[in-house]
Amino acid sequence: MRASAFARSAGRGIALVFGALVASATVSAQSGSPAPPAAQPIQAPVPPEPPLMPPTPNVSAAAESIYAVARPGLLQIRTLVEAAGRQSSIGSGFLVSADGLAVTNYHVVSQYALEPKTYRLEFARPDGSQGPLKLIAIDVANDVAIVKVDGTDLPHLEFDPAALEDKSPRGERLYAMGNPLDLGFTIVEGTYNGFVEKSYNARVHFTGAINPGMSGGPAVTAAGKVAGINVAKRLDGELVSFLVPASKVSALFERAKTEPPLDLGHVRDEIDRQLVTWQGAFYHALGEQGFKAATLGPYEAPESAAPWFNCWARTNADQTPKPRAQLDSTSCSSQSSLYIAEDIETGRAELSHAYVRSVDLNPFQFAAFVSQYYGGAGMIRSWSRKRLTQPECHEDFVQRDDGGKAGPVMRTVWCARAYRDFAGIYDVAITTVTQDRDKEALVSRLAMQGVSYENAVTLAQRFLGELAWAK
Amino acid sequence: MGEVMIPTTPLAEPAIWIEVLSRLHHDVAARYRFIDVPITVGRAYDNDVIVDDPHVAAHHLRITRGENGALVAEDLGSLNGLYVDRARKPTKEVTLDAGHELSIGATVLRVRTAAHEVPAETPMLRGLPYWPSAVLCIAGVFALAALDLWLSETNEPKAIRYFTPLLILTVAVVVWTTGWSVLTRVFTGRPRFGLHFLIVAAGLLGYSVYSQLAEIGAFALSWTALANSSYVFAWLFLGGIVFAHLLAVNRARRPLKLVIALILVAAGVAMQTLKQSEYRSTYGQPALLSRLEPPALRLVSPQREQAFFTDAEALRAKLDKARTEEPAGGEPQSEEDDE
Repeated sequence: MRASAFARSAGRGIALVFGALVASATVSAQSGSPAPPAAQPIQAPVPPEPPLMPPTPNVSAAAESIYAVARPGLLQIRTLVEAAGRQSSIGSGFLVSADGLAVTNYHVVSQYALEPKTYRLEFARPDGSQGPLKLIAIDVANDVAIVKVDGTDLPHLEFDPAALEDKSPRGERLYAMGNPLDLGFTIVEGTYNGFVEKSYNARVHFTGAINPGMSGGPAVTAAGKVAGINVAKRLDGELVSFLVPASKVSALFERAKTEPPLDLGHVRDEIDRQLVTWQGAFYHALGEQGFKAATLGPYEAPESAAPWFNCWARTNADQTPKPRAQLDSTSCSSQSSLYIAEDIETGRAELSHAYVRSVDLNPFQFAAFVSQYYGGAGMIRSWSRKRLTQPECHEDFVQRDDGGKAGPVMRTVWCARAYRDFAGIYDVAITTVTQDRDKEALVSRLAMQGVSYENAVTLAQRFLGELAWAK
Repeated sequence: MGEVMIPTTPLAEPAIWIEVLSRLHHDVAARYRFIDVPITVGRAYDNDVIVDDPHVAAHHLRITRGENGALVAEDLGSLNGLYVDRARKPTKEVTLDAGHELSIGATVLRVRTAAHEVPAETPMLRGLPYWPSAVLCIAGVFALAALDLWLSETNEPKAIRYFTPLLILTVAVVVWTTGWSVLTRVFTGRPRFGLHFLIVAAGLLGYSVYSQLAEIGAFALSWTALANSSYVFAWLFLGGIVFAHLLAVNRARRPLKLVIALILVAAGVAMQTLKQSEYRSTYGQPALLSRLEPPALRLVSPQREQAFFTDAEALRAKLDKARTEEPAGGEPQSEEDDE
């Protein structure tokens, strides 16, 4: 009820496409959208090749030859529980060098990366051979990991030169490969549809059927060159899937060739370092893009001008019985979620405004109505005792410093919580209620995930500074 | 009562009264008038006062006059002896000059002469009965509760929202007051319903007023702890009410009753504090102001924006400290960071 003013659009679940065998066909929802993981349809047995696009004979022949060439380079990547020796999640991957370096998604190996003593990594190749995998490098922001298979002169795939320059033509046919739902290696035809416009982290929009277990597998061009790697799909659409662009994968691959491998004793420190760097760039970019003022009743409220926000509006005017206070809200959520572990997602920012005015409530009742949207820490994701500290809050009436825009006194609460696993990043939310009228109020909230304390304070100050009376 | 009049002829000596007292409150259970000594007390039927107490000897006690004319009680060689007042050791013989209480077996006696002086007459309390003030208080409680419900009414108004809590309140007050009245009746023979009703009504009114002021004060003074500590005052008021009820039963043993009330308050506050802190550590909910009031009720001047953010930054040290501590009650962190 409390969060309803800031309700985000329904059904924007994005699922990472690696299989968690414990939960059978369940995948964890990646996006921080409120669509519960339960919204993910349990797949009926999906045929290995989608029957939606009946292939023409020559396309089918192309797929056949591509698969024949690429097959020896494919891997299934399994995370096993060390004690039980059984797999707890599966994904895919592929070899990119003759000496055994292979590419997959970070989220495929995340369990192992965070708990190397509890889990171990294993690969299985289409010919049935198996063996241990070493984790060499990770890139959390782009969801890429480099692993290593022992061996020499191994068959491997190469990157598509056009994709490395992010110049693939829209409509190009791509072939995604991997091992969906542990059913065996498959090849899926689909279409390259450019970069996802509203995503902060670069993602290719791939129209094709990617399923759990195919994460980390390659999507190759008709020439058999890698254009991207399978990473996620939307749960509320059909065939709406996402790839990590080849340029990002190749960058980590090049780094892994020269830099020393990841120190398994300090993976959290490495993730921490990457998260701190990532949030520095993200919040800097957010500040650079600036804010534009939206007029809500007598108030002016800031909305981000950055292109990677998804905004939704909501009103209670059409409710029955007729509400006794009218509430019109807008909520903008950044498409920048980062998957760290099953129970840690971070990297999103949210900006919400709710303009409330009394229809027939007296000032006390109106204040009680507004209280519903004031209380609570206002964080984006729910609290997890294992991963986050308890929130610490400071609340008071706040008056704008002289020199800024003229604005009302505001009742403001600042809440912050730290990540237990990562130093230097916090979840912060600031909620504020205007205090200049007794039957009208603007409730605004800025919530930031995985942000440094300095960036949070800077952005929050700017946010408060932009809340003003409309001219 | 058990008064027995023994026919006498008038004499120069004042009459002697032997009073058998009740065990619990030492009220007079039976009173015997004598005009002369010796008077014997015991279980046998040749005594002047017969006591049906198995711990009393057949001939237990004899009251005579001493050399100076004072009354003297002597033990006639009983097994269980004679105890004076609260003495721990038995006495063979005692001069009855100060209205001593004599214990023989499990029976308590008092010997007084007609010359015994009684305290002055206490005036009858003809003031107002308790119930009009009690009704006034309870009306205040009801009015405040209804007002609070009305001021937090943000949806379609429904009568049932008011009716149910007020009905529950009424039943609770009636049951509580009746319970104390029954208890009082058992101990003193008078239920004192009006007094008990007044005590609970005044206590509830006091708490209602306090909690409303605390809610508004928390907003007006920007002092969240004022509203969030209301439960402490709820227990204090309850402790006060219980203490007043216990005093209304009778006036004896005040320190003991005060201790009982304080233990109740301490236990209640401790329990609820623990419950709240466990709730917070389980669900990660901060303690924030839960109810806003109309802006006109704000009394404090607002913080400057810069000061607000300075306070916000001060929280960082707390978070960093909490980060390195283990999850409260949760599983320990994996050890890989410790290597």
